[in-house]
Amino acid sequence: MSSSGPDLVCQLDNVQGMVDALTAVRWKRHQDAVMELSEHGVVLIVEETRCLQAKVYLQRELFVQYEYSAQGRPRFGVSLGLFVDCLNTFSVPGRSNMIEIRYPGPDMQLLLKSVDSMDACIYAEIRTRIPDTISWDYNFEPAGSTPLSFTVKSAALKEAIDDLEWPGSSIQLTLEPVPPSVTFRGEGHGDLQIDFMYYVNTDLLIAFHCDHRVSYRYKYKFLRATTSNIPSSVIRDNRGSKLTIGRGGMLKVQHLVSVAKPSIPHPYVDSAGHQQPSRIAYIEFFVKPEEYEDIQNGS
Amino acid sequence: MKFKAFLTDNGTSLLEKRFLPALDKMGKVCHLYFTRDHTIFLHNLLNGDGVQSIAQFRKEALFDNYRISSQNDDRIAFTIDLSLLQRAIRSSVSIYAEMGGGDGVDTGSNRLQIKLVKKLPPNSHQPLPFLTFESKGYKSAVIQDVPISKPLSRADVLELQSALDMAQDLPRTLVQVPDLNQLQNYVDRMKHVGDLLNISISKYGDLHVQISTTLITLGAEFRKLLVVGEQVEVPAEDRDLSAQSRTQRAVQRGDAQTVQVSMKHFAKSLQCHLAKPDCAFYGIAQEGACLTVIFQFFIPGSRQNDKSISLHCRLPVLDPGSS
Repeated sequence: MSSSGPDLVCQLDNVQGMVDALTAVRWKRHQDAVMELSEHGVVLIVEETRCLQAKVYLQRELFVQYEYSAQGRPRFGVSLGLFVDCLNTFSVPGRSNMIEIRYPGPDMQLLLKSVDSMDACIYAEIRTRIPDTISWDYNFEPAGSTPLSFTVKSAALKEAIDDLEWPGSSIQLTLEPVPPSVTFRGEGHGDLQIDFMYYVNTDLLIAFHCDHRVSYRYKYKFLRATTSNIPSSVIRDNRGSKLTIGRGGMLKVQHLVSVAKPSIPHPYVDSAGHQQPSRIAYIEFFVKPEEYEDIQNGS
Repeated sequence: MKFKAFLTDNGTSLLEKRFLPALDKMGKVCHLYFTRDHTIFLHNLLNGDGVQSIAQFRKEALFDNYRISSQNDDRIAFTIDLSLLQRAIRSSVSIYAEMGGGDGVDTGSNRLQIKLVKKLPPNSHQPLPFLTFESKGYKSAVIQDVPISKPLSRADVLELQSALDMAQDLPRTLVQVPDLNQLQNYVDRMKHVGDLLNISISKYGDLHVQISTTLITLGAEFRKLLVVGEQVEVPAEDRDLSAQSRTQRAVQRGDAQTVQVSMKHFAKSLQCHLAKPDCAFYGIAQEGACLTVIFQFFIPGSRQNDKSISLHCRLPVLDPGSS
């Protein structure tokens, strides 16, 4: 019989930030997610048809309190939409909302409750299930000895992808070293090409690494999923998103979402109020290109 | 059958800015019931399905020179489309303002008169009943006709009145919700999670709302609320229990009742906040027959209940729940 205490008891002081981070990986109404708990924090993984995977990293420093006492790393399945809608009920505007998350409950549930008010208490118990092993455990490897990546303003990326809906086709992403540029192109019932030129649009294309021309096509709906629910805080905070092309054309899209500052002093925010990196949740998407060369089979 | 009255400024404001927007959310069409002393808006009193709502005004709260007569004890009732009524009052108000009303002008000549009439509408040979709004200015008059149903027969009015009498039954224990906004905020977010709401009200002053599906249980408990009616101290051993346990034990003891209502109905009844009540009381009727919510309005500038205005709703209970 394992120890009687829960594997994890943690407290979070800004629920809205967590809602924002998790909403970033919602692209469908019903998504089954896998949550992994460790001493480093919580990771939530969602996946679709072996072509698209997203991960949300919530490091332990995001939590006001994080008591981890599991052996190994517990994993469980939970409905993403339900979890986010549930968290949303704890996010009351204009009030501090401190919640406690506990796993597992007596029936392996995920337990949540508000802990900031004696006379009004919100609680939730979410059923979990034993997760299937992730069927597609992609293996993101760098394309070569030099990286193929660029960092673009998240707002600009979202706008470009939104616009690329129009041609109704898959999207070709091309990185060109001379002149250094990123091109998104769709050819369907119309053609649309969006270029980001490194030395020209310096406010949009913030970083660029590419030593040889690469070009891959991605299904529009998967590319769209990477930006469709970027939280407005990302746009407001003027953040950048990093895109990397790995071996075989696998695309990695990374966003940073603020789990915003609380009104009360937090142990990880210094006195100047500057937001430490630890108050940020990391979001990663992996998108398979349309013609994916299995790494084991081909060059 | 005659009805004529002048809507006062206060009455116009009460209706246009507060009550009609709220009542419109209860249902597009309702009964409008005039008696010698009261004007009452009634939703769903004669059909059992939806949220019942009763907004009752003493005639002085809305009107001046209120004149009513009918062969049915001076009672008149009919159905009316609230959006048409709202539109008529709103445009009368703006016309009145345009005509220079309210700037020290003699209000005697610029007033909004409401009358029950029978008129021949265009393209028809049958005269039809209307509630007519007349704004008379110095130079012109504006008349708006709001179509209404044929006034209810004596038998139907009787039925309406007895439904109204039955709906005035008060639950034995009512708890006051101090912040309707908070409750509404919470219910708005809960809506996405499920369709059925379990509501428990205890004599300790606890209000516990909960959604329970196969995948999730989500609830909020508000404790130590003001109680009107039967009240009991919470037993010491229950004070530190979880909301669910405390409610279960209270129900077993007979100190609380739980009923299940439709989330849609509950959210709808919360729209009454548009009438800007000062507080709201929730209670469960005898035998769990319905969930009652009573909105109170204070006399402006005081914390005294304004008895000339009342608004309450009754929500049908879906499953008797444990009691």
